[in-house]
Amino acid sequence: MWTAAKKIKDDDFSEFDDFDEDEFVVEVPSSSGANQLPIKTQSKKSDVVYNDGSSQSSMSHTTEQILSDDVTIDEDEDDDLMFDEEEFETSDSFPSSSSYVSSISDLKITEVPTNLTGNHWEAYHCEAVMVLVLLGYLINFLVGRSKNARLASIIYRSQRDLLDRNFALVGDNGQTRSIQSTDDQMNNDLTTNNMHKESESLYILWCSGRTSIENMLIEIRFIKRQCLFNSLAAMIKSINDTIIYTIDYSKDDMETFVFCLAKKRCAAKLHRDMNDLSQFCSERKNAEKRGLSGNYQILNEIGEVSSTIIDNRVADFIEKFPDALEYIHISDQYTGMKVQNDTQQPSPNTPNPTNSPPTTGTAAQQQDALNTSERSVRRVLIIAFNLVARNDRSLQVTTESIGSDYLRFVLHLIERVSSFRFTSKESKTKAIKNRQRIEEQFLKNVYQQRQEQAQQRREEKRRAEKEKIMQSDDPERQRKWEEKEHKREMKRRQPKMKQMKVKAM
Amino acid sequence: MTDNRRPARIHRFRPSMITPTDDAIPDYMNLMGMMFSMCSLMLKIKWCAWIAVFAALVGFANSRTSDDAKQVLSSFMLSISAVVVTYMQNPAPMTIPFLQ
Repeated sequence: MWTAAKKIKDDDFSEFDDFDEDEFVVEVPSSSGANQLPIKTQSKKSDVVYNDGSSQSSMSHTTEQILSDDVTIDEDEDDDLMFDEEEFETSDSFPSSSSYVSSISDLKITEVPTNLTGNHWEAYHCEAVMVLVLLGYLINFLVGRSKNARLASIIYRSQRDLLDRNFALVGDNGQTRSIQSTDDQMNNDLTTNNMHKESESLYILWCSGRTSIENMLIEIRFIKRQCLFNSLAAMIKSINDTIIYTIDYSKDDMETFVFCLAKKRCAAKLHRDMNDLSQFCSERKNAEKRGLSGNYQILNEIGEVSSTIIDNRVADFIEKFPDALEYIHISDQYTGMKVQNDTQQPSPNTPNPTNSPPTTGTAAQQQDALNTSERSVRRVLIIAFNLVARNDRSLQVTTESIGSDYLRFVLHLIERVSSFRFTSKESKTKAIKNRQRIEEQFLKNVYQQRQEQAQQRREEKRRAEKEKIMQSDDPERQRKWEEKEHKREMKRRQPKMKQMKVKAM
Repeated sequence: MTDNRRPARIHRFRPSMITPTDDAIPDYMNLMGMMFSMCSLMLKIKWCAWIAVFAALVGFANSRTSDDAKQVLSSFMLSISAVVVTYMQNPAPMTIPFLQ
């Protein structure tokens, strides 16, 4: 680039030589010691570049360009010598021309790392956005978590007295060895003074020690306010906070029936997903006939149950709190949801050797499940309520006022279910027939699965034997084994032929 | 009012009694965090490291109390080290490939 420029200069622009010197004189006095070398190179450049006809403004930018460009400037020494003697005679601060030339030839402009250029922090705008998003998420996490915790403690305080009056044990995290001793009182304080926190959005309370029931589990499932994405999704999908009361009965305390009263939007889902509802209840009926609003549907196995369960109290409750009741599910054949049922064995009331947690399903557990010829069922009453802000009040205020109302309704239903017995014999026989049918289906499934497993095991054994024989490289043994296999095949086929012969005769 | 309490009928709580819900978010987030951390360390991609930090944070927010805190903490540590190492290797500001 230099040489090309120089050629042009020599031919065409010699008349500008004088002008060059004036330019140079103006610039030199203003140069600082640090900028000496760069300005010298600038002057070299300017002699040539200016004569190119390029704009003079490029000269003013060259000092910065030299600092920021990654280009190393190659000097042509011959021509520089001439200019050196002319232009640097008078100045004392400049070094002698020879050393200057060598220093010029040695000069190499190194690359300056980009982060040491100007605009240090403004360039990192993406990082700033990321950090802001992270901080925003963190703040939302803290705020959401504290709101959920506050709601849980409000619900607990509103129901605590009534629970203490009805249950001998309120609050148990299952980890302390003894409930009664005073030493453990301190440990239990955490659970007895508040609900047990399973996660930031799930609080539970375990109550036990009452007539007619074994235990009651109160689960409060909040919207995941601690996660920004979940809370946005909840706003879009209009999900509510829910309280679910799950009450377990013992065998003698409950009549044998399956019943569900649910809001339309979840009635279809429950009918599809719950094992017992899909097996025992054939259709969904509208609840208008029972005096409830058209919003509710009934799934019923035995006809007389719905008129007993849905009494005035239920109707009044629904009228008073229209959106509160999500569903009531009563069943003596409760086995959980369909999708999980392959791997899940909910803890049964009947003795079961493997009392494993439902969510972990291993092959061994499935095997054990097949070994037991009894289905593990629970006798439950499940009531789910929505927590919604009513009458333009905030959620907290609403929760404070209705907490004990919900619990009283639950206790009433507990008594109702435990005291109900079939009035007609037909109901009882129908229930027994249904259960026998389901039991037979279950046993058939288990038998089929066991057969398949046995078949698989036999085939694997045979395959292993075959591999062993093949690897042994002994033709005698191989032949013998093949003969044995052939005999086995003939034997298996023969009985069938015999049967056919008998039929023909 | 008759007292319905029966201390003789007390049953202890078992964690299996909680209604199981299929919530796999914390596991997915842990996995995502680890994958993106490794991606950013191996391929020196900055935005991967930031997503890993985010995934670790979301996984922590959605975790259950019964979950091991060590896993969440290790996920955090890995993602933060991925960010630090990636910036030490190349201090230039981050560029999002499909926006520029």
